[in-house]
Amino acid sequence: MGINKLRISNCEFRIKSFKIRNLPAGKTGPKFEIRNSKSEIRNKEVLNLRKVILFSSVLFCTLSCSEKSSRDIDSVIYWSSNNTEEIEFARVAVNLWNKKNPGKLVSFQPVPEGQSSEEIILAAVVGKTTPDIYSNMWQGDVESYADAGALIALDTLNGFWDLINDRCDTSVIKEVTSGDGHIYQIPWKINPIMLLYNEKVIESIGFDNPPSTYDQIFEAGSRFSKDKDGDGYVDQWFGYSEVIVTWWQRLFDFYPLYIAASDGAPLVEKNKAVFNNKYALKVFKFLHNLYQKRYFAKERLSQRQDVFLSGVIATRFTGPWEIAHAEKFKPKELEYSFTHMPVPDDHEGPVYTYCDPKNIVIFKTCPYPDLAWQFVKFMINKENDLQFLRITNQLPRRKNLDDDSFFSDYFKKNPKMIPFAKQSDYVKGTDQALYLKEVFDLISQEYEASVIYGKKSPEEALSDAEKAVNLLYLQ
Amino acid sequence: MVSPYIIHFIIFVAFPVTFSLVLIFHKWNIISPMEYIGFGNFIRLFNDEFFFKSVLNTLIFLFIHIPLQIIIALTIAEALNRKIKFKGFFRAAYFLPVVVSGVVVTMLWQQLYGYDSGLINRFLVNLGFSKVGWLVDPNVAMPSIAIMATWKNVGLYIILFLVGLQTVPPHYYEAAEIDGANYFQKFFKITLPSINPTIFMVVVLSTIGGFSLFIEPYIMTGGGPLNSTLSAVLYIYKQGFFYYHMGYAATLGFFFALLILSVVAIQRKFIEKEK
Repeated sequence: MGINKLRISNCEFRIKSFKIRNLPAGKTGPKFEIRNSKSEIRNKEVLNLRKVILFSSVLFCTLSCSEKSSRDIDSVIYWSSNNTEEIEFARVAVNLWNKKNPGKLVSFQPVPEGQSSEEIILAAVVGKTTPDIYSNMWQGDVESYADAGALIALDTLNGFWDLINDRCDTSVIKEVTSGDGHIYQIPWKINPIMLLYNEKVIESIGFDNPPSTYDQIFEAGSRFSKDKDGDGYVDQWFGYSEVIVTWWQRLFDFYPLYIAASDGAPLVEKNKAVFNNKYALKVFKFLHNLYQKRYFAKERLSQRQDVFLSGVIATRFTGPWEIAHAEKFKPKELEYSFTHMPVPDDHEGPVYTYCDPKNIVIFKTCPYPDLAWQFVKFMINKENDLQFLRITNQLPRRKNLDDDSFFSDYFKKNPKMIPFAKQSDYVKGTDQALYLKEVFDLISQEYEASVIYGKKSPEEALSDAEKAVNLLYLQ
Repeated sequence: MVSPYIIHFIIFVAFPVTFSLVLIFHKWNIISPMEYIGFGNFIRLFNDEFFFKSVLNTLIFLFIHIPLQIIIALTIAEALNRKIKFKGFFRAAYFLPVVVSGVVVTMLWQQLYGYDSGLINRFLVNLGFSKVGWLVDPNVAMPSIAIMATWKNVGLYIILFLVGLQTVPPHYYEAAEIDGANYFQKFFKITLPSINPTIFMVVVLSTIGGFSLFIEPYIMTGGGPLNSTLSAVLYIYKQGFFYYHMGYAATLGFFFALLILSVVAIQRKFIEKEK
C-alpha cells in the first residue's frame, strides 16, 4: 500500500487509503484527504512560534517588573539577611511597625538566595531592583556602593546626627564616615572575633588563665600540640585557622590580630597602604611561628567533624555564632569560654578586635526615603535592639552595651555572651576604602607565602603586599 | 524556521561577544558607568604576573594531563578491545566518573587527598612511606589535580579510542602476523597510525577541556597553595566576578581565547604533518 500525491498549485491532495465498502474483505478503495500546503503549515508554525516568543517576552517583562508593580502605595521594601533568626527578627519588627503605622507600610523579605548576599545586592543594583532598605551590608562594601551613587547619604536626613550620637561613640562615627565626608550607613550589628578555648585543656596544661600574649600562646602550644598516634606527624594542635588564600579568611586571623596588636590601626588610608608597620610584622612572625612549630594545623580541617568540639584543637579564633553551635553539638564534658585575641608581649591597655560589622543602608532607588528612615530609626531603637539580641544572639553596635541596665537581663541569662559584650567597646570594623576585598586578597597572597609556607620573610612579604596595594590604587 | 536560531545567536553569542569586545577598552565594575581607557587593560595584562603564572599553571596541567590521559585511555581501550570477560561491565565502570558531577568528584578526591586524614596518605603511612602534601605542597598540588581530572575524564576517551580501534581493518594485523610482526610492532606500525584522527580529536578535546580548568582548583584549593593551582580561567573568574573588573576580565578572556586558538592550530599542523 502506498500514498499517492497529486499537487495542484499550493495544495496537496493525498490518497491516503484504499478502503471501499461492500468490497470483499481485504480489498480497499481510494479515500481522499485534502491537506494544507507545506507553505501554509510553515506559516502556521511560524505564527505559533511568534505567539510563544511574544508570550514569553510579556511573561518575562511582567515578572521583571513585578517587584515595582507589587509595591503598595506609601510603602517601603526592606530586605533582611536570610538566616532564620534574622528573618524572625525582621518579621517581628516589621509587623510591629505596620501595626503602629497603618498608613506607612513596610513590606519585608529576606535577601533572595544566591551564592552570597553581596552578589544578590550587586545584581539588584545593576538591575535597579534594589530594596529600599537593606540591613546586612558588610561595612567594607559600603564605600563602593556610595562611590557608585547607589546609596542615600543618611547624614542628610532629619534626626540622623541625634540618632548616631546617641548610639555610637566618635570613633565609630569616624569609622563609618566615607571618603566624601558623608555617612551612608547606620552601624547595626557586630560579631567580635575572640579566642575560643577549651577550659579543661587550658587548665590541664598548667594555665590558670587562658594564654593571652604571643609568648603564652607559644608555651601553651608546645604543651598541647603532639603526635598522638605515634606515626611521626602532629595530629593534635593548639589552634586552627582555615589555611585558604581567600580574602575573607584574613578577617578571622590576620586582621583581628593586627587590630589587637595596633589598637585598631588602619590598613589603608587615603588610597595608600599603611599596614607595613611593626604591628603587622609582629602578627606575621607570630603566625609564622605557630605554623612552623606545628602548633597550628597546616592542612584543611574544616571537612572533618568539628575539630574544636572533638578535642583535636584547643583554641580557635571565632565569633559569638560559635555558642549556638557548641551548645547544640558539644560533648557533655566539654567546657569552653572566650577571651580576647592574643597580643604581643609588650602590649598594654585594652585589646581591640575586628567585629565583622553589618550595617543598614537605604538605596537611592527608594521613592520614600523619609519613610524608610523612620522605619530604620524604629528598627534600631533600644527595644528592638534588645529583641534583636534575644532572637539572634548577635550584638547591636551600640555604645556601653555591657553596662546598660536595659540589656543586663539578657546577659544574665546568656553568660557566654558577656565576653563579647565587654569586647564590644573595643572593636573596629573596616576602613572606609575602595577595593578592600582586593587589599585583603593581596595581603592574603603574601600571608600564605610567608606565614604558611615560609617562602618569604615577613618583612619581604609585607613590603610586597604594600607595593601591590599601592599599585592597585594607582591603577 | 531559522528565526529561533537567529534569536538564540543574537542573545547568547553575538551580543556577549560584541559586548566583551567593547569591554576590553573600558573599565567597568558593573555598578558605576563604563570608563573608556583605551589600551589600559592590555598594559595591565602584560604587567600582571598573576595572569602569566595562571597561564603557566594551566600549561603545566595540560602537559601532565594530556599525555597521562592518552596513555591510560589507549591502554585501557586496547585491553577492552580484546575478547575479555565482563567487557560491558568494565566499559560502563570506566565511563561512570564521566557522568558524575564534577563537583561531587572534586569533593570526593579532596577527602582522598587530605594530608592527615586522607585515605591515600593513611595507606602510604601504613606501608611505611611518608605522607604527601597532595593539595598543600605547591609542587604536588597541580599534578594531584591533573591525576584527578584524568580519572574523571578518561572514560570518555576510552570510548573514543575504542571506536577508533574498531575501525582498523583486521586484515592489516593478519598480514603483519604473517610477516612475523610482534605485538609492539603491530601497535606502533598499524594501530597508532590508523587511529591518528582519533588521537588528534582526543588531544584537541583534552586541550580545550584542560584550558577550561576551573571547578577542581576552585573547590579543592582556591588556586593555592602559593597560587600553584591558580588556573587561567579561575583567575579570569576572580577578576570578573569576585572583584568586578569586567573590562580587565574581558581582556584576559580575549587574550586567553587567542592562546587556545593558537595552541589548537599548532597541534593541528603538527598532527597533520605526522599523517
